[in-house]
Amino acid sequence: MDSALLLDDVHHVFGGHRRGARPALSGLSLAVAPGEVVAMIGLNGTGKTTALRVLTGRLRPTAGSARVLGNDPARLPVGAARRFGHVVGAALVDPALTVTENLRVAAELHGVAGAAAGGATSAVIERLDLLPWAHTRARALSLGNAQRLGVACAVVHSPAALVLDEPTSALDPRGVVLVRELVRERAAAGAAVLVSSHHLDEVARVADRVLAVHGGRVVGSLDPGGAALERNFFDLVLAADTAGARSPGAASMPTGRVA
Amino acid sequence: MTGLRIALRVEAMAWRRSTVQHLATPLLVLLVPLASVGLTALARSGAVGGAGAAKLADYATGDLATTHLVLAGQVLSVAVLIAGGFAVAATFGQPLADGRAGAYFGLATPRGTLALARGLVLLGWVAACVVAAVALTVGASAAVAATASTPFGPTAWAAAGRALVAGLLAAGLALPFAAVATATRSPLATVGALIGVVALTQVVVLVGAGAWFPYAVPSLWTGTGGPEAAADVGGAALAITAAVAPVGAALVVVQWRRLTDV
Repeated sequence: MDSALLLDDVHHVFGGHRRGARPALSGLSLAVAPGEVVAMIGLNGTGKTTALRVLTGRLRPTAGSARVLGNDPARLPVGAARRFGHVVGAALVDPALTVTENLRVAAELHGVAGAAAGGATSAVIERLDLLPWAHTRARALSLGNAQRLGVACAVVHSPAALVLDEPTSALDPRGVVLVRELVRERAAAGAAVLVSSHHLDEVARVADRVLAVHGGRVVGSLDPGGAALERNFFDLVLAADTAGARSPGAASMPTGRVA
Repeated sequence: MTGLRIALRVEAMAWRRSTVQHLATPLLVLLVPLASVGLTALARSGAVGGAGAAKLADYATGDLATTHLVLAGQVLSVAVLIAGGFAVAATFGQPLADGRAGAYFGLATPRGTLALARGLVLLGWVAACVVAAVALTVGASAAVAATASTPFGPTAWAAAGRALVAGLLAAGLALPFAAVATATRSPLATVGALIGVVALTQVVVLVGAGAWFPYAVPSLWTGTGGPEAAADVGGAALAITAAVAPVGAALVVVQWRRLTDV
């Protein structure tokens, strides 16, 4: 089956050839098929968010390629853009607009027209339990509710490919469950979902596959149902660090080395 | 075309709700009639002496209503550029500074269309403020003139027309700062550039080249530099000044299409 989300041997160096240039990605490859939830886990500064920025077209990589629904994400055709949603960093939320207005705007900008935008807005408000804040301005929301609104704005058009960076980082346990169920529902509807997270327990519950990212590349995959996910993750990181220390020129990659 | 219509509706809603708009609109619309009528009254009251009287001397004599409207044009040509520049700095610079612009990628409405709509909404807002400010000044001036039993004649209407055109030209001059905001990704740097251009305009006028410098044209044309300087501003200079807005809009659309590392 063709991948809906694809990163192929992506390299990126911040700062180009200047002094102090900082390599961020070093041949990162991954693929997410329709109906699949893939989680990326890794330590801080090891390239997860940079990879997602490449995948959403926000950053042109130094080398390698990215594909969203078969298209270059930096020049996504309208037809593909209607089927793509993402939250990487700041969401498609205007602090001055209410929750309902933000969702309506997100629906329209994602290509949902007219009355359908109103229906999609109501549906996602109900799905993510945002009704009590429907007429509250986004700037007045708590951090957790603002994050839920951001996720809602990314899924209001029922995308076939979805990218979420740390979607539950500010959520309370109930919010975590709501977003987890939403992600599983999108996958059950045939969407390809890529999630990045630090929370091993959470990815174990939501993902079909877990990829460990370290030193700007995928260093291995983990069984989300495995009993020792944390132990196995650190084993992969340690193995990558050990292999990196043996190979010449590896010292310049940020690895978030494990002590 | 549908994309632009959606983008215009979305951008208009966002701008209607923005704090910058809530502050700038009353300032712009009320400042102009208050300054025009108030400064003219002050100039004619004899209450101001010394350097202040010299500054206000041009407004101390002549047809009352015409003086109001000439002064309105002069205030508008600067105030509109400043207000428009701040608005552009906030709307184009802030999302790039705080990372919200990253969410504009991968949308069915392309970024270039969003940028064009944002510029058009701002231009429409400033133009509406200019029309409202001139209309209020005409109303206030007519009321004051009636009280003083002086006519509101054709020269006053001509000055009102010139104030309107000067204000609209100044509105267009704010658009290139959207390109500055995009290049610097900073609203503060954009405001700095705006202040720099205002200062540069003073220098250009001082060396006598203002009649051809778009950022000086509206102000000179409304008589800020005196009648001779106003007469030096020809149709070609006005046309060049009017061309700044579409050039600025085209530039920012291209920039937003090519955005990366957001």
